[in-house]
Amino acid sequence: MEPFTALVVILALVLSATALGLVWRAQQGRIAPVAGDVITPTDVASEVPFGRDATLLLFSTELCARCPGTSRLLAGVAGSRPGVAHLNVDLTHRADLANRYGVMQTPTTLILDGTGRVRARIGGVPHRAGIARHLDDLTGSSHVRLAS
Amino acid sequence: MSASRARPRIDPRGPRFVAAITAVLLLVVVFLALTGAAVAALVLLTALAALFAWGAFAGAGRHPFGLLFKRFVRPRLAAPAELEDPAPPTFAQGVGLFVSLVGVILGLVGLSGGLAAAAAAAFIAAFLNAVFDYCLGCQLYLLLVRAGLLGRRGTPAGTA
Repeated sequence: MEPFTALVVILALVLSATALGLVWRAQQGRIAPVAGDVITPTDVASEVPFGRDATLLLFSTELCARCPGTSRLLAGVAGSRPGVAHLNVDLTHRADLANRYGVMQTPTTLILDGTGRVRARIGGVPHRAGIARHLDDLTGSSHVRLAS
Repeated sequence: MSASRARPRIDPRGPRFVAAITAVLLLVVVFLALTGAAVAALVLLTALAALFAWGAFAGAGRHPFGLLFKRFVRPRLAAPAELEDPAPPTFAQGVGLFVSLVGVILGLVGLSGGLAAAAAAAFIAAFLNAVFDYCLGCQLYLLLVRAGLLGRRGTPAGTA
């Protein structure tokens, strides 16, 4: 191959890697509303009970660089809201759970409502404000249900 | 949470600095392979495989380019927001070692195109790591666990 052609190939490689990175970054932390299954603490071998109003369920592994920070973020959000619990599920030893819940990357966060039903899913490091907004919606809707 | 093992926690910018230099050198390998400089491409990729092996076995904190970062770059930067566990970037070095070894083997049997493809794949991972802070351990490790190739079974999962 001529050096000029090779340089064009190199340039195309760098551009496609950049495009890949931009697409990846745009999807990180995005909150996807889902109408999912009900998860119980037993399903994920949790030692801690779920929250009365909502639960932030974090899937991690031992080799996930972003998971400790995400766990602290979720703990902070849950800690400032009574009725909201936060728990970590380490998938390193539980490939079965990763398969059952279709986890493709860590951190992945599920937002469960008071009944344990999956209401939203976030791949990558979540944004604190987005989670807070979603929890407001969840607890708001439960107030409406209580009132009616 | 199992955060720190035996190895000390590291500045998260170190592995990205290492990945940036590695990515540039991998591009050089691709260029050499494409322009017919097969021997030069093979030699450089072998050297990069040796560096990946160093990072994978000695730990991401002791990678030669990482020492360069510690010595010359980090003193000029502000302290990092937080330190991180070296296990995920060390895993990424292991993946780099595997991919570059595949490239070296393809080069040794005369498949220059295969060597270029392996170097290009390793470049994409290193580039994403350096530029976008992409974490290979966050995705590939989980997929290998799901495929049953890594990880162990039967231990409890959920904790607070």
